[in-house]
Amino acid sequence: MKISYNWLKDIVDFDLLPQDLCHTLTFLGVETSVVSGGIKWEGIITAKVLEKQKHPNADKLSICKVNDGEKDYEIVCGAQNVEAGQTIALATIGAVLPGDFIIKPTKIRGVDSEGMICSEQELGLKEESDGIMVLDEKTPLGKKLEDVLQDIDTILEIEVTTNRGDCLSHWGIAREISAKLQKIPNLPQIKTAKFADSNIIEIKDKDLCTRYIGCQIKGVKIAPSPKWIVDKLESCGIKSINNVVDITNYILLELGHPLHAFDASTISGGKIIVRRANPTEKITALDGKIHELTENMLLISDASKPLAIAGIIGGEFSSITEATTDIFLESAVFNPGNIRKTARTLNISTDASYRYERGTSWEVAEMASWRAINLIVEIAGGRLELREDINSSDNKKVFIQLRVERVAKILGYEIDEKTIANILRFLGMEITTKVEKVLTAEVPSYRNDIKEEIDLIEEIARVNGYENIPVIKDSNSFVNTGKQNTNSSKVIKNISNSLVGLGFCEVMNYSFSEIKDLDKLYLNYSYKIANPISKENEVLRPSLLVGLMKNFVFNIGQATNDIKFFEIGRVFDDKGERKVLGILMSGPIWQTWWKWEENKINPIFDFYFAGGVISSILPSNEFTISENRSPQKYYHPGKTAAIVYRGKVVGQFGVLRPDITSDVQNDVVYAEIDIEDIENNYQSKIHPYEHIAKFPSVKRDISVVSDKKIKFDKIEKVIKQIMKTGGILKEFNLFSVYESEKLGLDKISYSFRLFYRHNDKTLNDIEVNTDMQLLLDKLNKDLDIKLRS
Amino acid sequence: MNKIDSILKEALDKIKTAELDTIENVKVEYLGKKGKITEILKTISSLSIEEKKQIGSEINTVKNTLNEAIDSKKKEITNKLLEEKMQNEKIDISSAFSFAFPKGHYHIINQTIEEMSNIFVSLGFDVAQGREIETDWYNFEALNIPKDHPARDTQDTFYLENSSNLLRTHTSPAQIHIMEESKPPIKVIIPGRVYRNEATDASHSAIFHQIEGLVVGEKVTFAELKGTLSLFIHRLFGQEVDLRFRPSHFQFTEPSAEVDIKCVLCGGKGCRVCKGTGWLEMLGCGMVHPNVFKSVKYDPEKYTGYAFGLGVERFAMFKYGIDDMRVLYENDLRVLRQF
Repeated sequence: MKISYNWLKDIVDFDLLPQDLCHTLTFLGVETSVVSGGIKWEGIITAKVLEKQKHPNADKLSICKVNDGEKDYEIVCGAQNVEAGQTIALATIGAVLPGDFIIKPTKIRGVDSEGMICSEQELGLKEESDGIMVLDEKTPLGKKLEDVLQDIDTILEIEVTTNRGDCLSHWGIAREISAKLQKIPNLPQIKTAKFADSNIIEIKDKDLCTRYIGCQIKGVKIAPSPKWIVDKLESCGIKSINNVVDITNYILLELGHPLHAFDASTISGGKIIVRRANPTEKITALDGKIHELTENMLLISDASKPLAIAGIIGGEFSSITEATTDIFLESAVFNPGNIRKTARTLNISTDASYRYERGTSWEVAEMASWRAINLIVEIAGGRLELREDINSSDNKKVFIQLRVERVAKILGYEIDEKTIANILRFLGMEITTKVEKVLTAEVPSYRNDIKEEIDLIEEIARVNGYENIPVIKDSNSFVNTGKQNTNSSKVIKNISNSLVGLGFCEVMNYSFSEIKDLDKLYLNYSYKIANPISKENEVLRPSLLVGLMKNFVFNIGQATNDIKFFEIGRVFDDKGERKVLGILMSGPIWQTWWKWEENKINPIFDFYFAGGVISSILPSNEFTISENRSPQKYYHPGKTAAIVYRGKVVGQFGVLRPDITSDVQNDVVYAEIDIEDIENNYQSKIHPYEHIAKFPSVKRDISVVSDKKIKFDKIEKVIKQIMKTGGILKEFNLFSVYESEKLGLDKISYSFRLFYRHNDKTLNDIEVNTDMQLLLDKLNKDLDIKLRS
Repeated sequence: MNKIDSILKEALDKIKTAELDTIENVKVEYLGKKGKITEILKTISSLSIEEKKQIGSEINTVKNTLNEAIDSKKKEITNKLLEEKMQNEKIDISSAFSFAFPKGHYHIINQTIEEMSNIFVSLGFDVAQGREIETDWYNFEALNIPKDHPARDTQDTFYLENSSNLLRTHTSPAQIHIMEESKPPIKVIIPGRVYRNEATDASHSAIFHQIEGLVVGEKVTFAELKGTLSLFIHRLFGQEVDLRFRPSHFQFTEPSAEVDIKCVLCGGKGCRVCKGTGWLEMLGCGMVHPNVFKSVKYDPEKYTGYAFGLGVERFAMFKYGIDDMRVLYENDLRVLRQF
């Protein structure tokens, strides 16, 4: 909202310059900044236009001879409103305009110009102006502009938090200043009169309208407003319409209470009814649109038709026109929540609805009504004929008790009772003390944000200044929960550390996706957004694959082909919201390498390499691989596996279906691991130290040939059985898998490295050979596996 | 006597000029079975015991001298050869940095969360997590934001179809869950992802991250809130950074404050980033509203607390000078590899 600095000064007497005022208000909780106005120039003087001639080379420019009382200047001017005889503001060579704009001698279309005739916009006095600024003709010449301009106003922009609807006016802001500076504000004199209720107003829905003051003024003359009103409205960005409408707007800016004026001749049946709309009702409003109403919307109507949408916008039909002579003036208090709902449903926001949504005061409603009557009668003439005031609810004063010790308990420092009482008094509260150290505050009704003790404490804190609250850094007074503090889950951290160590990049994607993209990945969604920002964001991702696949395609397009990505994030599927880890890998494992060509080390990610990555990042060897009994549909059904922890599947990985990745040459391997499951269920064991064997191991490499139909884990099982018997075979690993025509099409060869060790002695060849033969015999007997020749 | 001396001199001269292929010959010539020194030994058998002893010991000394001289010459020669060999093996080192190991990277948002979390953990905070799908109660009602309250305007909400649930607009609902699940004292941060129904542009995103903080105890005050957050900001941006607490409004805290830091880019003079104010808005905070305590059945007379919430993307953007938020979610490797 725009606020006039001068207007504030009319209400409360203060010495702060605009910038200092902004600071003071900002530190009271009302963010304030200067938008325009104030003196931001140097070297601007008053001068008179002596002659005006057309520019020889440009239709829209003129050449003016200007005099400052001593000297003549030739100025090229582009404004349409410049005329000989005007007193104007002249920026001479060397003058500085707002924005550090320095006036230099220039040639405009071949004609020299010795300065510039200024507009109010160029001077920063207004945000917009039409043509040059014309000064009063009696203004002396050759004077500094700032010395002759009286009341140079500065316009401030205030940002009011949602709880402080009472600050949306000059009076409201002046109250804040007066509380901080401890000065009493001066409000305009308001004349009131006694009137007998006339029984023209009926409030049918008392829950939505707690006070309605209506009055009829007859014989007004609708005309343009006097200059002082127009100026004040314009400085706050409101267009002048006519005297009556302007007065209602003026009071809105002054006191913050919305008023509405109807043409009384349009009210039929002599009745004003405040009621909920019928579901079939419509109204053409002042915005020129026809609004269809619903039964939760509050209307101001007469005996037969709607006149206005209560608290939001008036009807076109009942508005004030030049022909209006009798007016009906409304000042009311409506239910904030209901106004907000209606305004949102109809998608209208007006100055009135903005204030009603934030709550208005039943006391100010009366003040505003009388203030309007006073001004209308004074400016537009007419006489007050009827007045009716209906309080449809208990409009009572609010009293709140404040314990002085509670202030210190919340803020952490003591403020004495006298200071507290003083702050609250300057905020407009009546303070009484019946019990020692307990103050009772009578809260003015415009402060609807103050409902309980804590709200008073906030008032005290902010008026006394947040900068005065001490900064306690003594760790003894800090809360100690006695818990062992942990950072984000250790399991997750270890896994992502491993992945980063292996060269993987972490990505972060939006949680939204498009159904079309899910279809391509054979994914179904479980959660659809009711109000998405766009079609691309219509559902919640059921898998991290959606985003990772996008990242993959994007980066492949950037001429990269080695992709190692992971993401940890929430997915939303039929199991609900879960945190998962997605890993996507494709292309060369090493991009280029020192002599990689001659060393032939440029492997491409495939199922087995991916398996290697996954097994190395999982927290323990209790995680095992198994058949994927219910694989995700995006996997190649022959190249996918499940990851199992203590008998439970915690993830899947595999090569993506070729039809998903048909644009790419290499396999794309994807793993999705239920990391939340691991976080919750994984128990890290402390492995006790194992003594290193005193006697050396004997290493043997063997290659065996097996039928392809026999799964590797069968072979592994046999070896493990032998190891379990407590013999000398202590460790083994698979170091090569080999297939070739020589072996036969249905054959496969595995090479193992076996480690034999005895705890008490060095083994000899015979002992090792005997044990190895045992293994070979068992492999042969159980699985028909032979030693490769 | 003279003979021994002259043989020794002669031998030492030969050793001096010997090469790798001749040094063994010198050894044989003097110390071999038929070497000149060995020969002398053979001639002393006729001498008296006293003389034998004396000459024997002299010859031993000579032998030792020669052996040492030969060994050291050998070492000298092999060292010289090794040096020459290594000189010839000199490689072009200048291309070695072209073959960096492929390095992994954490996403900048997670790096920022981690950095901040570590500071809070060092100040005694625990780290918890919340859910992203929430109910109206947790996201609004329990936080003292009733239906049809204008405070809801600032948090445009995504709703789920066929459900009354929504996507949380802030991490604050996690406060409620934590208080429902545990008893004071509480001292926790909750980092997480939040959703606002607003168009994405350079400085707005429908999805972003926050870190929520909550401290509840019997003696928690605004002064401690100021202390904790000052420590945090100073550890994050350095001791010299100025900060200020400014009154603000949040429904779930009272009194509420906004924390600004002096613009890290212009040092407070005013620039494009701080919009000429010299200050950057960093986080919102305040004392937990008694109504929030009531909604989790805590006694607001007994317990007080403070809460705060800060935007992770904002910090990251300031810190690294990123001028467009969308960059953070494009996952372009050329960007990911920078951090």
